[in-house]
Amino acid sequence: MSTLSFLVSSSPSSTSRTGTLRLTRSDGTSLSLNTPGLVTATSRGVVPHLSPDLCAQTAAVRWVHTSFESFLDHNPTVPTLFQGKNALACFLGHSPSTILSLSLRDPGDVRLMPPNGDAHVSAVCVRGVRKVTPASWRSYVQSCDPDITFALTDVPFTAPPYSQKRLIKSVERSLAWLADVLRSDFTNTDHARPSNIFVHMAGGTEPAARAAFSEGLVTALYDKEAEAVKPLKTLDEGVAGYTFDLAPLRVTLGDRLLHHSKIAAALVPETIETADLTEHTDNLIELMNANLKPLPRDKPRLVNSCTGPHEILKMVKGVGVDLFDAAWAQRAADIGIALDFQFPVPERLRNSAEQGDSPTGKWNIGYNLYDQAYAHDFHSLLCDDTLICPCIACTAAPSSLCLQHSIIDSPRVITSASPFTRAYLHHLLHTHEMSSHALLTAHNLSVLDAFFGGIRKVLGRDGGNKVLVEEVRVFCDVYDASSALFDQALRCWAQVELARGKGRLAREKVIDST
Amino acid sequence: MQFEVLATCHTTKARVSRMTLAHGVTALPTFMPVATQAAIKGLTPQQVEALGITLILNNTYHLNLRPGTDILQEAGGAHKFQGWKHNLLTDSGGFQLVSLSKFTKITEEGALFSSPFSGEPTMLTPEESMSIQHAIGADIMMQLDDVVSSLMTGPRVAEAMARSVRWLDRCIEYHEKSGRKDVQNLFAIVQGGLDPELRDQCLDEMIKRKDRVAGYAIGGLSGGEAKDTFWRIVKQCADKLPADRPRYCMGVGFAEDLLVCAALGVDMADCVFPTRTARFGVALTFQGPMNLKLSKYATDLTPIDENCPCPTCKGATTRAMLHHIVTLETVAAHAVTMHNLTFQAQVMGGARDAIMQGTFPAYLRRFFDDYFGDAGYPEWCVNALRSVGVDLLEGKDDAKVVQGDGARWEYSITNKRK
Repeated sequence: MSTLSFLVSSSPSSTSRTGTLRLTRSDGTSLSLNTPGLVTATSRGVVPHLSPDLCAQTAAVRWVHTSFESFLDHNPTVPTLFQGKNALACFLGHSPSTILSLSLRDPGDVRLMPPNGDAHVSAVCVRGVRKVTPASWRSYVQSCDPDITFALTDVPFTAPPYSQKRLIKSVERSLAWLADVLRSDFTNTDHARPSNIFVHMAGGTEPAARAAFSEGLVTALYDKEAEAVKPLKTLDEGVAGYTFDLAPLRVTLGDRLLHHSKIAAALVPETIETADLTEHTDNLIELMNANLKPLPRDKPRLVNSCTGPHEILKMVKGVGVDLFDAAWAQRAADIGIALDFQFPVPERLRNSAEQGDSPTGKWNIGYNLYDQAYAHDFHSLLCDDTLICPCIACTAAPSSLCLQHSIIDSPRVITSASPFTRAYLHHLLHTHEMSSHALLTAHNLSVLDAFFGGIRKVLGRDGGNKVLVEEVRVFCDVYDASSALFDQALRCWAQVELARGKGRLAREKVIDST
Repeated sequence: MQFEVLATCHTTKARVSRMTLAHGVTALPTFMPVATQAAIKGLTPQQVEALGITLILNNTYHLNLRPGTDILQEAGGAHKFQGWKHNLLTDSGGFQLVSLSKFTKITEEGALFSSPFSGEPTMLTPEESMSIQHAIGADIMMQLDDVVSSLMTGPRVAEAMARSVRWLDRCIEYHEKSGRKDVQNLFAIVQGGLDPELRDQCLDEMIKRKDRVAGYAIGGLSGGEAKDTFWRIVKQCADKLPADRPRYCMGVGFAEDLLVCAALGVDMADCVFPTRTARFGVALTFQGPMNLKLSKYATDLTPIDENCPCPTCKGATTRAMLHHIVTLETVAAHAVTMHNLTFQAQVMGGARDAIMQGTFPAYLRRFFDDYFGDAGYPEWCVNALRSVGVDLLEGKDDAKVVQGDGARWEYSITNKRK
């Protein structure tokens, strides 16, 4: 049984906060993480593009979140065959020094799905849709032994809008499923309650429904319900943290962001209408606060599927969110963007309004390395050469011994490489080489990690909250919050993908025959 | 280049040597992984280096198209461009002209082809090939040769062989005048198709130029010819080539081919096979290739090979996990690529040790027993190794031998083997 503690350090009067999350595993290992901070997203259990050796060299990867649904194609599910402590982490090859959290569904997946039932969630794997009951979820989690478990939640993925009746059902089911995972009335110790349960804040886009969900968490339980989860007096007592999956909310609110989820190259339109990455942020903040109002302040709050640094800052400032997933920054690496932004805004960019490289005159938060402008650019990825980015693209890996294959091979230590240049990454992207995405993923995670370091530093100062408000204003003045950079990169990615990616020969055949 | 033979096998023609180039020492015999477009598919140069690899190959044709020589020159050469600090070999671009371009016309001047980008007629001459390879800055450069399919017969084969000799002269002239002779080394490519007579003529001509070339490649093979013909041509060339020059057999990458070639006296070989097959989910092992896509690996909780020192096996990544992500996540390609390159390096490193210790014939017997014992020994391997004094079937009266190309590598064969 591992334990999670969270120490919030901020005045009760302010919304934004810093904190320290400490996880102590049953074997005595203790990991800690400072907040606000990032959670690395995965696909099929792995950090996309980063093999375990590269993950280990990327300091920003401290917490990985993974979803279970991709394993449902095999019965029994394969990770549950892997017995022992931290079974899932061992199976997936994640380092013991990273925190591993597990949910049933991929929080960023908003594809339409068959409806959930009173006793099942519809999840998707390569062989189609599978129904997962609260009981099977409990048993998966028992075998997988993740550090943190997300309780099942009823989010509708049928086409919006959702009726009031549907939202009430969603709240009721989510509470019931949380109660189920918290059950303590098993005689068999194999069914012990999983440690460190996070609960998704249900209620859709209806503030009243969200408030009702939170009330349900903190209301004292009676009779059979209380008996089932004793010694807990409320469900909230058994909850270690709160999560907000923004992706389904955004869909309900009418989101237009194309780059956010994976899309087939052929489906990327010629022109993409530029959107504001913070279009729904204020709305979402209101919804999140409706949940948090009745809840205690001392539990970590995790947001999945944020759109970028502007939204992160607004949610740190306006909600007091502690953890954000990095899916958007990892997605940027998929489509050839090297992130480059800092918080607080560096001196050289302050008062540089109208001089930036984006269409609005502000500065882009990164570069689209597909752009021909980088073909001859031999700078490293960060614009400011005085900064040190610790990623494998900018700084050499710690030296270690190379393999030796015969007695006459001279023993050698890995030599430090000079930073990779934008020209090289531009070349790798245009030649459809996978290494580009590995380097960009490591880089983008590192840039985002440094950004959170900047937020913590500002909040740590005297009167940090006031400074934060001012620095967020400067940040929004200097850096462009539009989707233009992502839209351009997505177009370029689609062009190269169609010209050189999977199915190229078949497409060329069609062109040749016409 | 410094080339020093350290040991020769007492039975076969195999040898161990040390080749010192501008970017360090490479122990031979070795396998060279292919980084076609300035990257081993999916890996960073540091990951490749960590696998103990000291010599990789770039393709001139591809680098000339993208990024182009101007960018390579601005970067200070291909080593700096891709962050690779060890030795690098480039081919001449001739093979890709024939294999990739639809409209290539060979004239005495050079190869005329239409640019894949603009469609404009473009001429690749021996001088142009040298000049591109100078811009790339590879430690070993290959002459431009006139490549014909290894299945071609008739007068065109003789013409191509004779032209390759004339083009070698033009490459030598150009290279010697460039002033880069002390940092870059030119290799000649022996042509002549599958005709021993033509091969002999080509060898004679090229050996005459020995003082002006640093090494020799055996070209025009690995194009679908019968394996029995393949090894005979390799043997003919390796036997005749001078002992004090490295010998490079082009386009060879199956483990059994590598070991037969090494036993015949070949020092270097290259192939996209181990990296390409990795992307399709096939891991190479001493018990034969393993197709991780097969459902029997879905619940297999052991690593690919428990004795393998690669990061994938050392990190205890299971076959089941690889089965889960193979061809769906790039990470699977990276993991299996690292394993396969390590496997190739282990096969060749093991051969070096065995040759040094005088146990190479036993090493060959053990390898072939593990790799083919169940499925059957390819007859051509048995014959090729008998020609250099090693009998794979010695003491194995009931050993199964597969006729013809036998070892032709197939998923179904490998499936039965595990």
